[in-house]
Amino acid sequence: MRPLTDDETKVFFEKLTKYIGRNIVHLIDRPDEPYCFRLQKDRVYYVSESIMRKTTAIGRQNLISLGVCFGKFTKTGKFRMHITALPSLAQYAKYKVWVKPNGEMPFLYGNHVVKAHIGRVTEDMPEHQGVVIFNMADVPLGFGVSARSTVDMRKVDPTGIAVFHQSDNGEYLREEDALF
Amino acid sequence: MDVTGILDEHKNRFKSIQVERLVPVEFDLGLMACFDVNMIDEAQLRASQKARDTYLQELSREGAQLMINELFSLPTTVDEDSVYATLPAIRTVLPREKPAPKEKPMTRWEKFAKIKNIQNKKKSRMVYDEEKAEWRPRFGFKGVNNDDQKPWLIEVPGNADPYDDQYKARREEKKERIDKNARRAQRNFEENLAVEKGMKPRDMRKRELQSALVLSKGSTASMGKFDDKLAGEPKVKGLKRKFDPLVKNSDKEKSNNMEILNRVSKGEAKTTSVVNVRKAQRAINNAKRSKKQEK
Repeated sequence: MRPLTDDETKVFFEKLTKYIGRNIVHLIDRPDEPYCFRLQKDRVYYVSESIMRKTTAIGRQNLISLGVCFGKFTKTGKFRMHITALPSLAQYAKYKVWVKPNGEMPFLYGNHVVKAHIGRVTEDMPEHQGVVIFNMADVPLGFGVSARSTVDMRKVDPTGIAVFHQSDNGEYLREEDALF
Repeated sequence: MDVTGILDEHKNRFKSIQVERLVPVEFDLGLMACFDVNMIDEAQLRASQKARDTYLQELSREGAQLMINELFSLPTTVDEDSVYATLPAIRTVLPREKPAPKEKPMTRWEKFAKIKNIQNKKKSRMVYDEEKAEWRPRFGFKGVNNDDQKPWLIEVPGNADPYDDQYKARREEKKERIDKNARRAQRNFEENLAVEKGMKPRDMRKRELQSALVLSKGSTASMGKFDDKLAGEPKVKGLKRKFDPLVKNSDKEKSNNMEILNRVSKGEAKTTSVVNVRKAQRAINNAKRSKKQEK
Protein backbone atom coordinates (compact mmCIF):
# COMPACT_ATOMS: atom_id res chain seq x y z
CA MET A 1 0.00 0.00 0.00
CA ARG A 2 1.34 3.42 -0.84
CA PRO A 3 0.00 6.87 -1.66
CA LEU A 4 -0.25 7.82 -5.33
CA THR A 5 2.60 9.70 -6.99
CA ASP A 6 1.89 13.05 -8.61
CA ASP A 7 1.71 11.58 -12.11
CA GLU A 8 -0.64 8.83 -11.02
CA THR A 9 -2.85 11.34 -9.20
CA LYS A 10 -2.97 13.45 -12.33
CA VAL A 11 -4.10 10.56 -14.51
CA PHE A 12 -6.63 9.50 -11.89
CA PHE A 13 -8.09 12.98 -11.50
CA GLU A 14 -8.29 13.47 -15.24
CA LYS A 15 -10.45 10.36 -15.45
CA LEU A 16 -12.59 11.46 -12.52
CA THR A 17 -13.16 14.97 -13.87
CA LYS A 18 -14.72 13.40 -16.95
CA TYR A 19 -17.56 12.20 -14.72
CA ILE A 20 -17.78 14.58 -11.78
CA GLY A 21 -15.85 17.66 -12.87
CA ARG A 22 -14.77 19.96 -10.11
CA ASN A 23 -16.80 18.05 -7.53
CA ILE A 24 -13.68 16.04 -6.77
CA VAL A 25 -13.15 18.75 -4.16
CA HIS A 26 -15.93 17.14 -2.15
CA LEU A 27 -14.07 13.86 -2.24
CA ILE A 28 -10.77 15.36 -1.18
CA ASP A 29 -12.11 17.87 1.31
CA ARG A 30 -14.75 16.20 3.41
CA PRO A 31 -16.41 17.96 6.35
CA ASP A 32 -16.75 14.88 8.58
CA GLU A 33 -13.47 13.01 8.31
CA PRO A 34 -10.35 13.27 6.16
CA TYR A 35 -10.31 10.62 3.45
CA CYS A 36 -7.38 9.68 1.29
CA PHE A 37 -6.48 7.66 -1.82
CA ARG A 38 -4.12 4.77 -1.48
CA LEU A 39 -2.69 2.38 -4.04
CA GLN A 40 -2.47 -1.34 -3.36
CA LYS A 41 -1.40 -3.65 -6.21
CA ASP A 42 -2.31 -1.11 -8.92
CA ARG A 43 -5.79 -0.52 -7.50
CA VAL A 44 -6.84 2.86 -6.14
CA TYR A 45 -8.78 2.76 -2.86
CA TYR A 46 -10.69 5.63 -1.27
CA VAL A 47 -10.50 5.17 2.48
CA SER A 48 -10.86 7.24 5.62
CA GLU A 49 -7.61 8.15 7.27
CA SER A 50 -8.31 6.45 10.57
CA ILE A 51 -9.02 3.12 8.86
CA MET A 52 -5.95 3.59 6.66
CA ARG A 53 -3.74 3.99 9.71
CA LYS A 54 -5.11 0.79 11.17
CA THR A 55 -4.47 -1.00 7.87
CA THR A 56 -0.76 -0.37 8.10
CA ALA A 57 -0.67 -3.30 10.50
CA ILE A 58 -1.73 -5.76 7.79
CA GLY A 59 0.99 -7.18 5.57
CA ARG A 60 1.07 -6.60 1.84
CA GLN A 61 0.35 -10.20 0.89
CA ASN A 62 -2.55 -10.38 3.33
CA LEU A 63 -4.30 -7.14 2.44
CA ILE A 64 -7.03 -7.69 -0.15
CA SER A 65 -8.99 -4.47 -0.10
CA LEU A 66 -9.66 -1.38 1.96
CA GLY A 67 -12.30 1.33 1.77
CA VAL A 68 -13.86 1.74 -1.67
CA CYS A 69 -12.02 0.60 -4.79
CA PHE A 70 -12.33 3.29 -7.45
CA GLY A 71 -10.51 1.45 -10.17
CA LYS A 72 -7.12 0.24 -11.21
CA PHE A 73 -4.11 1.33 -13.20
CA THR A 74 -3.35 -0.77 -16.24
CA LYS A 75 0.14 -1.95 -17.18
CA THR A 76 0.55 1.02 -19.54
CA GLY A 77 -0.37 3.53 -16.85
CA LYS A 78 -3.95 4.29 -17.86
CA PHE A 79 -6.67 4.37 -15.23
CA ARG A 80 -9.76 2.19 -15.56
CA MET A 81 -12.77 2.96 -13.41
CA HIS A 82 -14.63 0.07 -11.80
CA ILE A 83 -18.32 -0.27 -10.93
CA THR A 84 -17.45 -0.05 -7.22
CA ALA A 85 -16.88 3.67 -7.69
CA LEU A 86 -20.51 4.21 -8.67
CA PRO A 87 -21.91 5.51 -5.34
CA SER A 88 -19.37 8.37 -5.22
CA LEU A 89 -19.79 9.12 -8.91
CA ALA A 90 -23.57 9.13 -8.71
CA GLN A 91 -23.51 11.60 -5.83
CA TYR A 92 -21.45 14.18 -7.65
CA ALA A 93 -22.17 13.43 -11.30
CA LYS A 94 -22.18 16.39 -13.71
CA TYR A 95 -24.26 14.79 -16.47
CA LYS A 96 -27.01 12.26 -15.77
CA VAL A 97 -29.19 10.10 -17.95
CA TRP A 98 -32.42 8.54 -16.71
CA VAL A 99 -33.47 5.30 -18.34
CA LYS A 100 -37.04 4.05 -18.80
CA PRO A 101 -38.11 0.83 -17.08
CA ASN A 102 -38.00 -1.15 -20.33
CA GLY A 103 -34.44 0.01 -20.95
CA GLU A 104 -33.02 -0.97 -17.58
CA MET A 105 -32.48 -4.65 -18.26
CA PRO A 106 -30.61 -4.30 -21.58
CA PHE A 107 -28.25 -1.87 -19.95
CA LEU A 108 -27.70 -4.08 -16.92
CA TYR A 109 -26.76 -6.91 -19.24
CA GLY A 110 -23.99 -4.80 -20.70
CA ASN A 111 -25.51 -3.25 -23.84
CA HIS A 112 -25.30 0.37 -24.86
CA VAL A 113 -28.23 2.65 -24.07
CA VAL A 114 -30.44 3.24 -27.07
CA LYS A 115 -32.30 6.51 -27.64
CA ALA A 116 -35.67 4.82 -27.31
CA HIS A 117 -34.85 3.80 -23.73
CA ILE A 118 -33.87 7.25 -22.56
CA GLY A 119 -36.33 8.97 -20.26
CA ARG A 120 -34.51 12.16 -19.34
CA VAL A 121 -31.13 13.75 -19.99
CA THR A 122 -29.45 16.73 -18.35
CA GLU A 123 -29.37 19.61 -20.80
CA ASP A 124 -26.19 20.92 -22.44
CA MET A 125 -24.48 17.60 -22.38
CA PRO A 126 -21.60 17.66 -24.88
CA GLU A 127 -20.48 14.67 -26.93
CA HIS A 128 -18.14 12.03 -25.47
CA GLN A 129 -18.63 13.17 -21.91
CA GLY A 130 -18.78 10.88 -18.89
CA VAL A 131 -22.36 10.29 -17.75
CA VAL A 132 -23.95 8.37 -14.87
CA ILE A 133 -27.04 6.35 -15.71
CA PHE A 134 -30.01 6.24 -13.34
CA ASN A 135 -33.31 4.46 -13.51
CA MET A 136 -36.59 6.35 -13.10
CA ALA A 137 -36.49 5.86 -9.33
CA ASP A 138 -33.14 7.66 -9.15
CA VAL A 139 -31.19 4.51 -8.44
CA PRO A 140 -27.75 4.61 -10.08
CA LEU A 141 -27.30 1.75 -12.54
CA GLY A 142 -23.88 2.42 -13.98
CA PHE A 143 -21.85 4.88 -15.98
CA GLY A 144 -20.81 5.46 -19.56
CA VAL A 145 -19.84 7.97 -22.21
CA SER A 146 -22.34 10.06 -24.13
CA ALA A 147 -22.49 9.22 -27.82
CA ARG A 148 -24.04 12.55 -28.84
CA SER A 149 -24.71 15.93 -27.34
CA THR A 150 -28.22 16.68 -26.06
CA VAL A 151 -28.90 18.84 -29.10
CA ASP A 152 -27.84 16.18 -31.59
CA MET A 153 -29.80 13.53 -29.77
CA ARG A 154 -33.08 14.81 -31.18
CA LYS A 155 -31.92 14.19 -34.73
CA VAL A 156 -31.00 10.54 -34.14
CA ASP A 157 -33.50 7.79 -34.92
CA PRO A 158 -34.84 5.83 -31.90
CA THR A 159 -32.57 2.84 -32.45
CA GLY A 160 -29.41 4.91 -32.43
CA ILE A 161 -26.98 4.60 -29.54
CA ALA A 162 -27.23 7.46 -27.09
CA VAL A 163 -24.80 6.40 -24.37
CA PHE A 164 -21.87 4.00 -24.66
CA HIS A 165 -21.87 1.47 -21.85
CA GLN A 166 -18.77 1.43 -19.65
CA SER A 167 -19.81 -0.16 -16.40
CA ASP A 168 -23.10 -1.35 -14.89
CA ASN A 169 -24.36 -2.96 -11.72
CA GLY A 170 -24.61 -6.32 -13.44
CA GLU A 171 -20.84 -6.51 -13.34
CA TYR A 172 -20.99 -7.45 -9.70
CA LEU A 173 -22.27 -10.79 -10.92
CA ARG A 174 -20.61 -11.07 -14.29
CA GLU A 175 -17.11 -10.01 -13.30
CA GLU A 176 -17.01 -11.32 -9.77
CA ASP A 177 -13.44 -12.61 -10.04
CA ALA A 178 -12.10 -9.40 -11.59
CA LEU A 179 -13.43 -7.20 -8.81
CA PHE A 180 -10.78 -8.43 -6.39
CA MET B 1 -2.37 74.42 -89.20
CA ASP B 2 -1.61 75.41 -85.70
CA VAL B 3 -0.94 72.24 -83.80
CA THR B 4 0.90 73.82 -80.86
CA GLY B 5 -2.44 74.25 -79.06
CA ILE B 6 -3.24 70.57 -79.40
CA LEU B 7 0.28 69.57 -78.36
CA ASP B 8 0.14 71.82 -75.32
CA GLU B 9 -3.20 70.39 -74.35
CA HIS B 10 -1.80 66.89 -74.68
CA LYS B 11 1.26 67.76 -72.61
CA ASN B 12 -0.81 69.36 -69.84
CA ARG B 13 -2.91 66.24 -69.51
CA PHE B 14 0.06 64.40 -67.97
CA LYS B 15 2.07 65.49 -64.97
CA SER B 16 5.59 66.82 -65.34
CA ILE B 17 8.50 64.41 -65.73
CA GLN B 18 10.85 66.86 -64.05
CA VAL B 19 10.86 66.39 -60.30
CA GLU B 20 12.46 68.77 -57.81
CA ARG B 21 13.96 67.38 -54.62
CA LEU B 22 15.99 69.21 -51.96
CA VAL B 23 18.26 66.27 -51.14
CA PRO B 24 19.23 64.34 -54.28
CA VAL B 25 17.72 60.87 -54.37
CA GLU B 26 20.14 57.90 -54.31
CA PHE B 27 19.69 55.09 -56.79
CA ASP B 28 20.64 51.42 -56.77
CA LEU B 29 19.54 50.53 -60.27
CA GLY B 30 20.84 46.98 -59.96
CA LEU B 31 18.01 46.41 -57.46
CA MET B 32 15.70 48.94 -59.21
CA ALA B 33 15.55 50.86 -55.95
CA CYS B 34 15.76 54.54 -55.07
CA PHE B 35 16.30 55.93 -51.58
CA ASP B 36 14.67 59.28 -50.87
CA VAL B 37 15.73 60.92 -47.58
CA ASN B 38 13.76 64.15 -47.99
CA MET B 39 11.61 65.32 -45.10
CA ILE B 40 7.88 64.60 -45.38
CA ASP B 41 5.50 67.51 -44.76
CA GLU B 42 3.98 66.67 -41.36
CA ALA B 43 1.13 69.16 -41.77
CA GLN B 44 -0.06 67.30 -44.85
CA LEU B 45 0.08 63.97 -42.97
CA ARG B 46 -2.10 65.27 -40.15
CA ALA B 47 -4.68 66.74 -42.52
CA SER B 48 -7.90 65.01 -43.61
CA GLN B 49 -7.60 61.50 -45.02
CA LYS B 50 -8.28 62.64 -48.60
CA ALA B 51 -5.58 65.34 -48.47
CA ARG B 52 -3.15 62.90 -46.85
CA ASP B 53 -3.84 60.26 -49.51
CA THR B 54 -3.33 62.70 -52.40
CA TYR B 55 -0.09 63.98 -50.81
CA LEU B 56 1.32 60.47 -50.38
CA GLN B 57 0.27 59.51 -53.89
CA GLU B 58 2.06 62.58 -55.26
CA LEU B 59 5.22 61.62 -53.33
CA SER B 60 5.17 58.05 -54.64
CA ARG B 61 4.49 59.18 -58.22
CA GLU B 62 7.41 61.61 -58.14
CA GLY B 63 9.72 58.99 -56.67
CA ALA B 64 8.74 56.47 -59.33
CA GLN B 65 9.16 59.15 -62.02
CA LEU B 66 12.72 59.89 -60.85
CA MET B 67 13.62 56.23 -60.99
CA ILE B 68 12.11 55.73 -64.42
CA ASN B 69 14.05 58.78 -65.66
CA GLU B 70 17.24 57.09 -64.47
CA LEU B 71 16.27 53.74 -65.96
CA PHE B 72 15.73 55.35 -69.35
CA SER B 73 19.23 56.76 -69.28
CA LEU B 74 20.84 53.30 -69.00
CA PRO B 75 22.58 51.64 -71.97
CA THR B 76 20.27 49.34 -73.93
CA THR B 77 20.55 46.10 -75.89
CA VAL B 78 18.18 45.19 -78.69
CA ASP B 79 16.80 41.65 -78.95
CA GLU B 80 14.46 40.32 -81.67
CA ASP B 81 11.56 42.72 -81.11
CA SER B 82 12.32 44.29 -77.74
CA VAL B 83 14.74 46.77 -76.24
CA TYR B 84 16.34 45.87 -72.90
CA ALA B 85 18.10 48.19 -70.50
CA THR B 86 21.22 46.64 -68.94
CA LEU B 87 21.07 47.17 -65.18
CA PRO B 88 24.37 47.95 -63.48
CA ALA B 89 25.81 45.82 -60.65
CA ILE B 90 24.06 45.88 -57.26
CA ARG B 91 25.62 48.37 -54.87
CA THR B 92 23.70 47.86 -51.58
CA VAL B 93 24.98 44.97 -49.53
CA LEU B 94 22.02 42.73 -48.63
CA PRO B 95 22.21 40.73 -45.38
CA ARG B 96 22.63 36.96 -45.47
CA GLU B 97 19.52 34.91 -45.88
CA LYS B 98 20.87 31.83 -44.08
CA PRO B 99 23.63 31.60 -41.46
CA ALA B 100 27.20 31.23 -42.74
CA PRO B 101 28.44 27.63 -43.07
CA LYS B 102 30.61 26.32 -40.25
CA GLU B 103 34.27 25.55 -40.76
CA LYS B 104 34.63 21.86 -41.58
CA PRO B 105 37.16 20.08 -39.33
CA MET B 106 40.28 18.73 -41.06
CA THR B 107 40.55 15.06 -41.92
CA ARG B 108 43.62 12.99 -40.99
CA TRP B 109 45.08 13.36 -44.48
CA GLU B 110 44.51 17.12 -44.51
CA LYS B 111 46.37 17.45 -41.20
CA PHE B 112 49.26 15.36 -42.52
CA ALA B 113 49.38 17.30 -45.81
CA LYS B 114 49.51 20.55 -43.88
CA ILE B 115 52.49 19.42 -41.81
CA LYS B 116 54.41 18.06 -44.81
CA ASN B 117 53.28 20.99 -46.95
CA ILE B 118 51.87 18.77 -49.69
CA GLN B 119 49.93 20.71 -52.32
CA ASN B 120 46.86 19.32 -54.03
CA LYS B 121 47.68 18.90 -57.73
CA LYS B 122 44.59 19.47 -59.81
CA LYS B 123 43.99 16.64 -62.29
CA SER B 124 41.89 16.85 -65.45
CA ARG B 125 38.75 14.80 -65.81
CA MET B 126 39.63 13.38 -69.25
CA VAL B 127 42.80 11.48 -70.13
CA TYR B 128 43.99 10.64 -73.65
CA ASP B 129 44.10 6.89 -74.15
CA GLU B 130 46.86 6.08 -76.72
CA GLU B 131 45.64 2.56 -77.48
CA LYS B 132 42.08 3.47 -78.30
CA ALA B 133 43.10 6.95 -79.53
CA GLU B 134 40.29 8.69 -77.69
CA TRP B 135 39.67 10.78 -74.62
CA ARG B 136 38.35 8.82 -71.68
CA PRO B 137 37.48 9.89 -68.15
CA ARG B 138 40.11 9.31 -65.49
CA PHE B 139 37.59 7.47 -63.27
CA GLY B 140 33.94 6.43 -63.31
CA PHE B 141 31.92 4.92 -66.19
CA LYS B 142 34.26 3.76 -69.00
CA GLY B 143 37.08 5.22 -66.98
CA VAL B 144 40.75 4.51 -67.47
CA ASN B 145 41.17 3.31 -63.87
CA ASN B 146 38.91 0.25 -64.40
CA ASP B 147 40.98 -1.17 -67.27
CA ASP B 148 42.63 -3.75 -65.05
CA GLN B 149 39.31 -5.27 -63.96
CA LYS B 150 38.37 -7.13 -67.15
CA PRO B 151 41.45 -7.67 -69.33
CA TRP B 152 41.34 -10.52 -71.83
CA LEU B 153 44.38 -12.12 -70.15
CA ILE B 154 45.87 -12.04 -66.68
CA GLU B 155 49.24 -13.70 -66.09
CA VAL B 156 49.43 -15.84 -62.97
CA PRO B 157 52.12 -14.36 -60.74
CA GLY B 158 55.02 -16.63 -59.75
CA ASN B 159 54.08 -17.14 -56.12
CA ALA B 160 50.34 -17.78 -56.64
CA ASP B 161 48.46 -21.09 -56.75
CA PRO B 162 47.83 -21.87 -60.51
CA TYR B 163 44.22 -22.89 -59.74
CA ASP B 164 43.27 -19.55 -58.16
CA ASP B 165 40.88 -17.31 -60.03
CA GLN B 166 42.90 -14.20 -60.86
CA TYR B 167 39.89 -12.24 -62.05
CA LYS B 168 38.21 -12.84 -58.73
CA ALA B 169 41.38 -11.80 -56.96
CA ARG B 170 41.44 -8.50 -58.87
CA ARG B 171 37.78 -7.85 -58.05
CA GLU B 172 38.32 -8.54 -54.39
CA GLU B 173 41.32 -6.24 -54.22
CA LYS B 174 39.25 -3.43 -55.66
CA LYS B 175 36.46 -4.09 -53.20
CA GLU B 176 38.94 -4.05 -50.36
CA ARG B 177 40.27 -0.69 -51.48
CA ILE B 178 36.75 0.74 -51.58
CA ASP B 179 35.95 -0.63 -48.11
CA LYS B 180 39.21 0.72 -46.73
CA ASN B 181 38.32 4.15 -48.03
CA ALA B 182 34.85 3.94 -46.49
CA ARG B 183 36.31 2.89 -43.15
CA ARG B 184 38.72 5.80 -43.19
CA ALA B 185 35.93 8.26 -43.98
CA GLN B 186 33.88 6.84 -41.09
CA ARG B 187 36.88 7.12 -38.78
CA ASN B 188 37.35 10.76 -39.76
CA PHE B 189 33.69 11.44 -39.07
CA GLU B 190 33.81 9.81 -35.63
CA GLU B 191 37.01 11.60 -34.66
CA ASN B 192 35.59 14.96 -35.61
CA LEU B 193 32.39 14.20 -33.74
CA ALA B 194 34.37 13.36 -30.62
CA VAL B 195 36.46 16.52 -30.89
CA GLU B 196 33.28 18.57 -31.33
CA LYS B 197 31.89 17.12 -28.11
CA GLY B 198 35.14 17.90 -26.33
CA MET B 199 36.27 14.32 -25.72
CA LYS B 200 39.16 12.33 -27.06
CA PRO B 201 38.06 9.87 -29.78
CA ARG B 202 39.44 6.94 -27.79
CA ASP B 203 37.41 7.86 -24.71
CA MET B 204 34.27 8.27 -26.79
CA ARG B 205 34.72 4.83 -28.29
CA LYS B 206 35.23 3.38 -24.82
CA ARG B 207 32.02 4.96 -23.57
CA GLU B 208 30.03 3.72 -26.51
CA LEU B 209 31.36 0.21 -26.01
CA GLN B 210 30.43 0.25 -22.34
CA SER B 211 26.88 1.42 -22.97
CA ALA B 212 26.49 -1.22 -25.71
CA LEU B 213 27.73 -3.83 -23.27
CA VAL B 214 25.23 -2.82 -20.61
CA LEU B 215 22.36 -2.84 -23.10
CA SER B 216 23.29 -6.25 -24.47
CA LYS B 217 23.44 -7.69 -20.96
CA GLY B 218 19.87 -6.61 -20.34
CA SER B 219 18.61 -8.02 -23.64
CA THR B 220 17.99 -11.50 -22.29
CA ALA B 221 14.61 -12.91 -21.38
CA SER B 222 15.10 -12.17 -17.68
CA MET B 223 16.58 -8.70 -18.29
CA GLY B 224 20.06 -9.88 -17.27
CA LYS B 225 19.13 -10.68 -13.68
CA PHE B 226 20.22 -14.32 -13.66
CA ASP B 227 23.20 -14.18 -16.01
CA ASP B 228 26.64 -15.02 -14.67
CA LYS B 229 28.64 -11.91 -14.05
CA LEU B 230 32.20 -11.62 -15.29
CA ALA B 231 34.91 -10.95 -12.75
CA GLY B 232 35.54 -7.27 -12.25
CA GLU B 233 32.41 -6.06 -14.05
CA PRO B 234 30.96 -2.89 -12.60
CA LYS B 235 27.51 -3.17 -11.07
CA VAL B 236 24.91 -1.34 -13.14
CA LYS B 237 22.80 0.99 -11.04
CA GLY B 238 19.15 1.26 -11.98
CA LEU B 239 16.69 3.97 -11.10
CA LYS B 240 15.36 3.78 -7.57
CA ARG B 241 11.84 5.14 -7.20
CA LYS B 242 11.05 7.16 -4.16
CA PHE B 243 7.50 7.16 -2.82
CA ASP B 244 5.87 9.41 -0.27
CA PRO B 245 5.51 8.00 3.24
CA LEU B 246 2.34 5.99 3.78
CA VAL B 247 0.91 8.07 6.61
CA LYS B 248 1.31 11.69 5.56
CA ASN B 249 0.21 14.87 7.21
CA SER B 250 -3.43 15.01 6.05
CA ASP B 251 -3.40 18.78 5.41
CA LYS B 252 -0.34 18.48 3.18
CA GLU B 253 -1.92 15.63 1.28
CA LYS B 254 -5.14 17.59 0.86
CA SER B 255 -3.37 20.69 -0.42
CA ASN B 256 -1.25 18.59 -2.78
CA ASN B 257 -4.36 16.96 -4.19
CA MET B 258 -6.06 20.32 -4.58
CA GLU B 259 -3.07 21.63 -6.53
CA ILE B 260 -3.15 18.69 -8.90
CA LEU B 261 -6.91 19.08 -9.25
CA ASN B 262 -6.52 22.72 -10.22
CA ARG B 263 -3.99 21.84 -12.85
CA VAL B 264 -6.23 19.13 -14.25
CA SER B 265 -9.35 21.34 -14.31
CA LYS B 266 -7.44 24.09 -16.07
CA GLY B 267 -6.44 21.63 -18.75
CA GLU B 268 -9.98 20.30 -19.02
CA ALA B 269 -11.47 23.79 -19.26
CA LYS B 270 -9.17 24.59 -22.15
CA THR B 271 -10.20 21.55 -24.17
CA THR B 272 -13.90 21.25 -23.37
CA SER B 273 -15.52 24.64 -23.17
CA VAL B 274 -18.77 24.01 -24.96
CA VAL B 275 -20.98 27.04 -25.38
CA ASN B 276 -24.69 26.41 -25.79
CA VAL B 277 -25.42 28.95 -28.50
CA ARG B 278 -29.19 28.95 -28.01
CA LYS B 279 -28.86 29.55 -24.30
CA ALA B 280 -26.33 32.34 -24.81
CA GLN B 281 -28.57 34.02 -27.39
CA ARG B 282 -31.56 33.76 -25.08
CA ALA B 283 -29.55 35.35 -22.26
CA ILE B 284 -28.48 38.23 -24.52
CA ASN B 285 -32.07 38.77 -25.71
CA ASN B 286 -33.38 38.78 -22.14
CA ALA B 287 -30.77 41.33 -21.12
CA LYS B 288 -31.69 43.56 -24.07
CA ARG B 289 -35.40 43.24 -23.32
CA SER B 290 -34.92 44.09 -19.64
CA LYS B 291 -32.83 47.13 -20.62
CA LYS B 292 -35.58 48.31 -22.99
CA GLN B 293 -38.21 47.82 -20.29
CA GLU B 294 -36.15 49.90 -17.85
CA LYS B 295 -36.16 52.76 -20.35
